[in-house]
Amino acid sequence: MRLVIGRYMAAAALAALSFSPALRAQDFKIGSRPVQVHGFASQGYLYSNQNNYLTMYTSHGSPAFTEGSLNLSMPVTDKFRIAAQGYDRKMGSIDDFRPSLDFAYGDFKVARWLGFRGGKVKTVMGLYNDTQDMAFLYPWALLPQGVYPTDLRTTFIAHTGGDVYGRVSLKKAGKLEYTFYGGLRSYDDREGYYAYTQSLSLKITSISGRIIGGDLRWLPVNGLTLGVSRADLTQDRAVSSAIGTITQSTKMNRPWVGYADYARGKWGASFEYRDMNDIKTIRIPLGTPKDQDKSTKPWFASASYRATPKLQLGVYHSSVTVTAPANPKDTASNHIYDEVGSARYDINRFWDVKAEGHFIEGYGDTLQAQGFYSNYNPQGLKPRTNLLMLRATFKF
Amino acid sequence: MKYTSFLLAAACSLLIAPLCAVAADVKVIANNSVSANSISAGDLKDVFLLDKDSIGGSHVEPVLQNAGATHDAFLKAYLGKPNSVLQAFYRSLVFTGKASMPKVTAADAEAVAYVAKTKGAIGYVSAGASSEGVKTLEVK
Repeated sequence: MRLVIGRYMAAAALAALSFSPALRAQDFKIGSRPVQVHGFASQGYLYSNQNNYLTMYTSHGSPAFTEGSLNLSMPVTDKFRIAAQGYDRKMGSIDDFRPSLDFAYGDFKVARWLGFRGGKVKTVMGLYNDTQDMAFLYPWALLPQGVYPTDLRTTFIAHTGGDVYGRVSLKKAGKLEYTFYGGLRSYDDREGYYAYTQSLSLKITSISGRIIGGDLRWLPVNGLTLGVSRADLTQDRAVSSAIGTITQSTKMNRPWVGYADYARGKWGASFEYRDMNDIKTIRIPLGTPKDQDKSTKPWFASASYRATPKLQLGVYHSSVTVTAPANPKDTASNHIYDEVGSARYDINRFWDVKAEGHFIEGYGDTLQAQGFYSNYNPQGLKPRTNLLMLRATFKF
Repeated sequence: MKYTSFLLAAACSLLIAPLCAVAADVKVIANNSVSANSISAGDLKDVFLLDKDSIGGSHVEPVLQNAGATHDAFLKAYLGKPNSVLQAFYRSLVFTGKASMPKVTAADAEAVAYVAKTKGAIGYVSAGASSEGVKTLEVK
């Protein structure tokens, strides 16, 4: 155990040290155009009293939570810029240090009110979807998992396609930002869908889907953001089983999201609600097609307070309710409620550390990827879990 | 009636005075390539929040100081955000590929030197700092 912890700490320290020379040399030029290099490395440690969480053996204490990214951007002209980011993480059995291309796109800004992005682009949906892996932006070590499940990060974070975006002045009524997008969804064969399929002794042989959607956010006064997002998603999945190939396709998946964020002085507050309606059609060999309701209704409310310039405190409540759990008699499988208290300390502009307590009730539907996996909890899932998370992040 | 107006004016003055004092501590400077001689407070905020990249037809880019009283006074007077929130805002843009991190300089002398040599640069220094080689923009 000590050896494993030592290995993770050594990897994190090595990552941080290897980035250190870049602290003062993060810009270079191609021709006359500046290229910026930024990145982060983060190491977490999780300890739970009951269930194992997010495919980590947290009930024994687990340091198997490491992530980092390296990003380059360059303005090619005053109106056209390019940017790309590589991302890598290990979270239990998820991703396992296999690097991926997080985004890579060209951005042509015609005017403030009209721009275009093309390539692999981060998906704007709700408050934090496109920034959900940047823990250093938030007081939290782990974002509200009901709304931003980290085990399904790749599935929602980016699309390969394009955006149309802009910002319109409403004079005294503030500003309105819009983003409309469409493209193919991203999947990672070491993420949540695969993990819970494995827990059923099945194997995903193919998965694909597309997303079309938009986001409107109104900034009426300094510090206040009000927004709505809407999307239309599809997902086609084939799973090999003992009786042959089972297919699952989307009949209807049109989530809508409403959110608000307010920051004033030392205080901040956020709220987000999602109606993740999702009806899938399942086809099994020699059987008749059957619809399955995979809908959930997640939301969170949070508040934070900067006690000193270096110390920030926060609380949030995260909730996800499952409309039609696989086992309706199992009352802990139709919801996950998570009460969280967090403290963040900024050591300097490059390093921050966080300590966070989670008091979780319920474990969600075992036929969906919601953090608690039956194959990582062979003793059976318990209805309550207390979890401590420590996290250190280096960014430049 | 006059008494009420006087009280209102006095109260407003007391409320606004700290902001005026803060704004008076800072002057906004620009590279000589910037054609404008003044800038509205709204445009200045938009430039530093990376929402506007031209003033009066000239391409502009913001230059920040990394810390200190002048930096704090500028953020308070013109951006209305504490430094931690501003840095998180910049990082959210950088790590989604939407913008580059603005140039950051140490103190007044370095800010003036960088703005003087960089086409389109707009920065800020303390009111008493030398602004040789750059122009001072009036904030309206």
